[in-house]
Amino acid sequence: MSQTLASPPPSKGRVDVRHFALSYPTLDGAMAAVRDASIHVNPGEFVSIVGPSGCGKSTLLNAVAGFLKPTGGEVTVDGEQVDGPGADRGMVFQQYSLFPWKTVKGNVEFGLKMKHLSKSSRERAARTLLGLAGLSAFENQYPDSLSGGMKQRVGIVRALATGPKVLLLDEPFGALDAQTRIIMQQILTNMWQRLKISVLFVTHDIDEAIFLSDRVYCMTARPGTIKAEIAIPLARPRREAMMVSQEFLNLRRGLMSLIREESIKAMGGEISDLAMDGLSLDLHGQTLADLV
Amino acid sequence: MDSFALRSDAKVADVKAADGKAAPAEPTGPLSAASVEAAPMTTARRWLRLNRGGLQAVAVGALALALFLLAWHLLTTYRVVFFVRFTNVPSPAAVYESLLRASHDTKFLMHVLLSCRRIALGFSIAAIIAVPLGLVMGRFRLVHEFLFPLTEVLRPIPAIAWVPMAIMLWPTNEQSIVFITFLGAFFPILVNTLHGMSLVDPVLVRAAQCLGARETSIFREVYFPASLPHIFTGLTIGMGVAWVSLIAAEMISGQFGIGYFTWEAYSLVQYPDIALGMICIGVLGLGSSALVRGLGRLVMPWKRA
Repeated sequence: MSQTLASPPPSKGRVDVRHFALSYPTLDGAMAAVRDASIHVNPGEFVSIVGPSGCGKSTLLNAVAGFLKPTGGEVTVDGEQVDGPGADRGMVFQQYSLFPWKTVKGNVEFGLKMKHLSKSSRERAARTLLGLAGLSAFENQYPDSLSGGMKQRVGIVRALATGPKVLLLDEPFGALDAQTRIIMQQILTNMWQRLKISVLFVTHDIDEAIFLSDRVYCMTARPGTIKAEIAIPLARPRREAMMVSQEFLNLRRGLMSLIREESIKAMGGEISDLAMDGLSLDLHGQTLADLV
Repeated sequence: MDSFALRSDAKVADVKAADGKAAPAEPTGPLSAASVEAAPMTTARRWLRLNRGGLQAVAVGALALALFLLAWHLLTTYRVVFFVRFTNVPSPAAVYESLLRASHDTKFLMHVLLSCRRIALGFSIAAIIAVPLGLVMGRFRLVHEFLFPLTEVLRPIPAIAWVPMAIMLWPTNEQSIVFITFLGAFFPILVNTLHGMSLVDPVLVRAAQCLGARETSIFREVYFPASLPHIFTGLTIGMGVAWVSLIAAEMISGQFGIGYFTWEAYSLVQYPDIALGMICIGVLGLGSSALVRGLGRLVMPWKRA
């Protein structure tokens, strides 16, 4: 492996988000998207954020990436304040964000080109990583000719190529079918374990969060804040079979109930518990129309 | 419609063939069966099979051209008068004769070459100014806000309306004709470049930023290639409008050029030369558009199917 691919020492890649708040100015005054959210990722740890849609989990991730400036609190990586996007934090987007005008290899080399590495060392690094992700046969293809799963694999490889301290993923497998998603999850954990990199993973899929993570943060409905932090004590390496183990199901049930409460709030809280629990109305033999 | 559907069929077949070539190491069931079936076929037959759609399109297009020539021949031979009068219209044979004569005539070739030179100059200058201007206007809001109203006022003025002004502005006739050609090409290129810039996917810009790209790199590596398809649309349209403007300018104020040749033929009552000039303009316009498209395919290899 070339220099740039060398695994960072495990002392690097600590992410701290302290009392993070973000609000948008509107005509009715400031509108809070996230308030007082504090999370951290230890060096080499795999951490997920789950929450109902619109809770601000992507906002939190974008702040770590440096796309958003917090209106309150602070975001640091290895003690340094985040100020704009940079190559020390690799990002994988929900939408496939490969450059269509570059080949697979060209996409992976992009970050190294920005680091002004020589063409030969760029190519060597790209080939090594593409081999690791099983993409060697496709290095000269353009993204348009790849399947969704392959595109996202290239996206992950591209983000890892610069040797970032942290890998940020924003619902990267949301657009993939269930089978491909499971394979992608295994590829991701595999690469994470080899490279010993910190990962912050945003998803709305509870199974995915549990299967992948060391710890899971659960966020509340908007304005989002951290509702709970759950450690996932499942052994590594994780196997697909674990997803039906009692331990997994218990974790799932716990997280599910946390999220469900918030999802109902996120939908405006208009759905009564009765409807959610699916209890039947006792109409005493009358029809609903008679009662009304 | 029909030929289009066939063409897309051929594309699908192409892709399948490419897949087969790309992964010869995995002889899956259906794939190997297909290659066994394909084995006795000669290369020529396989080529024919793959390009059947394209060949059919060529044949259908040639048929239309042949029918057009036949109709032209019949209408002029029988001197048909039916609202429009074909009494003085030259027949295809007469035009062919004058083409044979003109092809040995250095004066005619000079007309053609001079028009081509004017197009090359006017179009190139337009592209060299309009593309970077569009990129900068698309990237920097202030530049856009500053220049956009001005371009919007100037844009609707047809290049031909600039003829009197151009004659006043430029010391020589030649310069004013090139200027008019330039104006014709300039605005389509600018507008399409701007459009391309406005459609650049912000996620790609973010992705580049996350990979350590700074402003100039983002401009060169993201905004420019992302806008290229629209830039080439603009160049193709610009080339067409450049020819329109050039011919008009040559007819009004020129002394040479294929537009002037066509107009002169009318004044000198050499009717076959009118049609010859027109066909010549058509072929030159077609050729220059094909040139731009070919260049586009060359610089955008990712757009090739």
